[in-house]
Amino acid sequence: MSRAHERVAVWTRHGLLALPIAFVAVFLVAPLLFSIAIGFWQRVGFRVQPAFRLDAYAEFFGSVRLLVLERGLIVAAEATAIGLLLAYPVAYFLVFRVTRSAARVVLALFTLPFLVNYIIRTFSWSWLLSRTGPVNKALATTGLTHAPVDWLLYSDFAVLLGLVTSTMPFMIFPIYLALMGLDRRLLEASWTLGASPARSFLRVTLPLSLSGVFAALVFGFTGAFGDSAVPIILGGPGYQLMGNAITSTLDVLNYPLSAAMSSVVVAVMLLLLLCWYLAFDLQSFLGKMLRWRF
Amino acid sequence: MAVCLQPAGYRDTLSAEGQQTLEERAMAGSSIGRRKIVQAALYGGTGLALSGALSGAWAAEQVSFADIGVGDPGGDWSRYTKATGGDTVNLVSIGNAPSAILNVLIAGGGTKTYDLINIVGGMQKPLVENGLIEPIDTARLPNWAKDSYIAQYLKPGTPGFDFIGYDGKIYGVPTVLQGDSFAYLPEATGPLDSYGALFDAKWKGYVALEDNYTTAGQKTALYLKASKQASIGDPANLTPAEMKTVVDFLIAKKKEGQFRTIWSSFEQAVNLIVSKEVKVIDCWEPMVFVAKSKGVDAVYAAPKEGYLLWAMAAYLVKNPGRSPARTKAAYALLDFMLGGWYGATITDLRGYMTNPEAPAYARQHPGEFPAAKAERIAAIDAGVKKKFQQGGTWQQRWPTAVDAYEAEWARFKAA
Repeated sequence: MSRAHERVAVWTRHGLLALPIAFVAVFLVAPLLFSIAIGFWQRVGFRVQPAFRLDAYAEFFGSVRLLVLERGLIVAAEATAIGLLLAYPVAYFLVFRVTRSAARVVLALFTLPFLVNYIIRTFSWSWLLSRTGPVNKALATTGLTHAPVDWLLYSDFAVLLGLVTSTMPFMIFPIYLALMGLDRRLLEASWTLGASPARSFLRVTLPLSLSGVFAALVFGFTGAFGDSAVPIILGGPGYQLMGNAITSTLDVLNYPLSAAMSSVVVAVMLLLLLCWYLAFDLQSFLGKMLRWRF
Repeated sequence: MAVCLQPAGYRDTLSAEGQQTLEERAMAGSSIGRRKIVQAALYGGTGLALSGALSGAWAAEQVSFADIGVGDPGGDWSRYTKATGGDTVNLVSIGNAPSAILNVLIAGGGTKTYDLINIVGGMQKPLVENGLIEPIDTARLPNWAKDSYIAQYLKPGTPGFDFIGYDGKIYGVPTVLQGDSFAYLPEATGPLDSYGALFDAKWKGYVALEDNYTTAGQKTALYLKASKQASIGDPANLTPAEMKTVVDFLIAKKKEGQFRTIWSSFEQAVNLIVSKEVKVIDCWEPMVFVAKSKGVDAVYAAPKEGYLLWAMAAYLVKNPGRSPARTKAAYALLDFMLGGWYGATITDLRGYMTNPEAPAYARQHPGEFPAAKAERIAAIDAGVKKKFQQGGTWQQRWPTAVDAYEAEWARFKAA
């Protein structure tokens, strides 16, 4: 290839890359930086003016809103863990235990809930789990309970259920794709060399599907952590996650506080992503650890 | 079939305005208008032809009307269009939360998009101080003087004025008036007549509150003051310390398991009543109407402590770039909303009191409002009037210590 052609190819590549970079810069990075800046601004009447003040951060870290952040992180972690425990076996089953066409059908079924409005889906849970709803009726009919089970709805359980059911389908797909891309000859080699199915899974399948698990964790955690409808519709009295807490401050036009809270949330999420990235990037280390243990 | 769709006075006024509009439009003389005039002259047109050309050339105005879902008369603006000679309404949905309104108008460029916003009143302070609405010239509203409810319930110097006025000027046209309390299921609780029911241990775990410090918080303050459980000056405008007292009380009740949930949408509250998930609920009266229509025996309480009174206000958005013709059309719409047909229709659809002409209009137009419907409208009107006579506290949408309200409510929710 001539030098001129190479130059054209390089410029084309740069040009194509510039588009998404510009998009992300304009629509994601710039608003984010602006939001971070507003967190330090000063409220003057109903407006804000540029300044460097830590009032909003002090208010956030010194109030109950910090507990909401803590609760949000715990609940999102719980929902993600449960989601992963459900999503991985489903994806594994679809890849290794059923035919390709059957897997496609099941995957299509998992996309069906997304055709229904998310709020309506969440509301349907409140109907199903209410004191007079079908679940409680079924429990009473079968004699398992003699009075309605209160904790099914407007409880931490209901929030977890709502979050898991709304994020778990998103977690299946990346794991499914990672497992699909797995070189089956490696599993055959493991079997040929005498490894038990459990050992093959732990030393071959799981490590090689970690990229999908990583993506699933990101999808699950960010989805659960950023949810604001499930806590309102299914949570107990006043249950709120960070999205609700931020909206509440916007109600009184406290833009610096809402920006400060948003910035902390973004910082926490970036930190978590960095940790996960480092952890999952050390696959070789993980591999060694697994070899050592099994 | 009834032909007279508006009260005579209303129709006459709009006719007069229509003439004036044509003259103004002729003065404006757009290029299209000039072409039409020349065409009319070429075709040997008479004065009549000229007039016809003018009216044909003039595009009707479309008033952009942002509403929270209460002010929509079932999509039927035909009477307004007919009365104004062709002006139309573009109804746009808007949230009622202060943030939703202010963010749409400030950040979202809503001042250039909307002509009128119809929300729960009392938002004048933030709206005026941000330069988002302009004073209403009531002389341009012939129905204003006829609306005795304005003089009766919303006159200057009374708490009601805070729903439409600010700094001595009128900024909002009242579209509905109402007094809120709470609802209960009589078969489960028997008759209830105090907000104390919301906090009564007998209904522990079967009570729901609204997620709103200016409704649930204020009703609690009203109850605590009336029952002498707390020293509260004005439940409508609590000091930070008073709000803290209210929230401390609510947190204690919450920890005892008094509340089943805190609702934040109309459908959610209706579901709580209809499914009998709760027996006592701090809510709006139309939710009881919906529950009753679904066969549930729910009662909207008449508490001895009084009601949480409020009014909706239609504000004229401040937009210096708006044409005089559009402003005229917006004023015509405001006046239309003070009229009998609109009032009766909104009372019928939403269950709120509107204006004094509404019940009479409904009774006088059986073709539009069958007898049963007219009686229901009259009953709703009489019921709300009774609430205003009893009094209570006026909802304060933007209390002096609004930041403290929000922070304390966040504490209640997080507890």
